[in-house]
Amino acid sequence: MATVLIENLTKVYPPTLNNPTQVQALGGLSMSITGNVFVAVVGPSGSGKTTLLNIVAGVERATAGSVRALQEGVPARVGYVFQEPRLLPWRTVVDNMLYVQDRKSDRSRREAEFYLQMVGLSDVADLYPSQLSGGMQQRVGIARAFLVNPDVLLLDEPFSHLDALTGRSLRDYMQRIWLQTRKTALFVTHDVTEAVELADRIVMLRPGGTAYDDIAVDLPRPRRHDDPAVRDMQDEVLRRFDAMGAAVRFGAHA
Amino acid sequence: MSAAVPSAPEATSAHSVRELRRAVRRRWGFRLSVLLGWAAFVGVWYVVSLYLLTPQQLPQPHVVATEAGELLSQRDFGRNFQASILRVVAGFLLALLASVGLGLLIAYNRWWRRFLVNTLLFLVSVPTVSFAILSLLVLGVSPMGPILNAMIVTTPYITMNLAQGLTGVDRRLIVMSEAFGRTRAQMITGILVPASLLSVLGGTRLAFAVAWRVGLLTEVFASADGIGLQIRRSFESYDIRGMLAWALLFIVIMLLIENLVFRQLERLLSRWRSPDGGAAP
Ligand SMILES: Nc1ncnc2c1ncn2[C@@H]1O[C@H](COP(=O)(O)OP(=O)(O)OP(=O)(O)O)[C@@H](O)[C@H]1O
Ligand SMILES: [Mg+2]
Repeated sequence: MATVLIENLTKVYPPTLNNPTQVQALGGLSMSITGNVFVAVVGPSGSGKTTLLNIVAGVERATAGSVRALQEGVPARVGYVFQEPRLLPWRTVVDNMLYVQDRKSDRSRREAEFYLQMVGLSDVADLYPSQLSGGMQQRVGIARAFLVNPDVLLLDEPFSHLDALTGRSLRDYMQRIWLQTRKTALFVTHDVTEAVELADRIVMLRPGGTAYDDIAVDLPRPRRHDDPAVRDMQDEVLRRFDAMGAAVRFGAHA
Repeated sequence: MSAAVPSAPEATSAHSVRELRRAVRRRWGFRLSVLLGWAAFVGVWYVVSLYLLTPQQLPQPHVVATEAGELLSQRDFGRNFQASILRVVAGFLLALLASVGLGLLIAYNRWWRRFLVNTLLFLVSVPTVSFAILSLLVLGVSPMGPILNAMIVTTPYITMNLAQGLTGVDRRLIVMSEAFGRTRAQMITGILVPASLLSVLGGTRLAFAVAWRVGLLTEVFASADGIGLQIRRSFESYDIRGMLAWALLFIVIMLLIENLVFRQLERLLSRWRSPDGGAAP
């Protein structure tokens, strides 16, 4: 069972030539995630969401505080879906998948093909990313993250660059795959409605990178976006999100 | 979501057939224009040698071609050609090696960047004939002259293109690589090398042509054999026909290398860029 323990996490970017003031991306964030849950982190642009995932993934260092992602006591293996597909343009789809695998064998190729099939892309395994639509590329990114058999799945607004219809169909893919695999997931988004559609729990970040609210989403799966219960929950969470916006605007701290 | 695969290999709609025809027509149009260009060149050559100069000053194309054909059949040609090309390739490989080190320094170290960029610009602006004469003074008549000069003159081109390729690498891909726990070696072979390969090839093409010219020029001054020396011998005996014949052979060799080696290499390496993945003819 995987756990992610985030304690007092702070990240301050030092001043740069372009931006002479330092930027506090995270300001003492604490939260803990245990087991096979899907946690959404919702916050406005610039509230440190990507920074949080990068620190969990180990590609960025915290200024203060700590993050531990563990699987049975040892460092967890991480799968990361980025805001944009981030495929190697000079490799075919299947070779992009193989890039993140340690062993290169017939078996690893079969695994890659299995996950491509899961996102409906078996036919394009030998094409280059430039030959795919944006939505198809993003699906490759999703398949790649699942391929490493991650203990913790990090998702950074994977649907935000897509048109509404493509986004919805990818959320359905995501929900289906997650139901089959039940990976511990940390899903970052600024879209409250997609958070409700996918998550068991929603953590709201406010600008400056601290937690504002922590909401349990107790709805049966698979969820449909037009289910009234889902709609009601979305309205409820949106109300709280707006309240946070108002609190931030008027300088009050809840 | 319907999978909109652009130009799948088995696509045979009327539309794609029309596209294919158009591509073929464009291709032949291009070949025809190249052919016309060469025909015009030869035509001008005839006019100049017949009406503006004497055949002693500028022999007619067919005379030069015949002479080149005769040279080709002699053992001299093979020996000199081999000497020249081995030197150019050796100098070129040395330049490639040096460029990897220098390119890395320029891409990743600010201090070295400033220093090296200026030095390389200086090297590029030195007239190549100075190198040729210098190597005669320093090395005397030796095969090392053409090799070293070919190396010195081509290194800036390859280095700058490599550095440019390396600094242009999308940093987000590196982050991806780290997030998935890839090693440094995997990152280099999987990202840095392929990302800079095309721009290095671009520099290499230009550099190879320059290496030939400098290598030959150095042979003119300071060599015991090679195409450069043959051109000089012809010059010394007022054998303009022989001189032009050697030059013609030289040009043909350059064109062959460009078309058979570099063009094919580029096609292979840039497959991923074309929207059809290089599948279409
Ligand atoms: N490498 C960096 N150097 C300096 N500042 C940075 C860097 N990366 C992020 N920041 C700053 O940190 C803050 C948080 O950035 P982050 O990308 O984590 O936000 P985000 O919540 O993911 O926003 P978005 O929803 O727009 O993706 C921003 O103000 C950003 O400008
Ligand atoms: Mg972000």
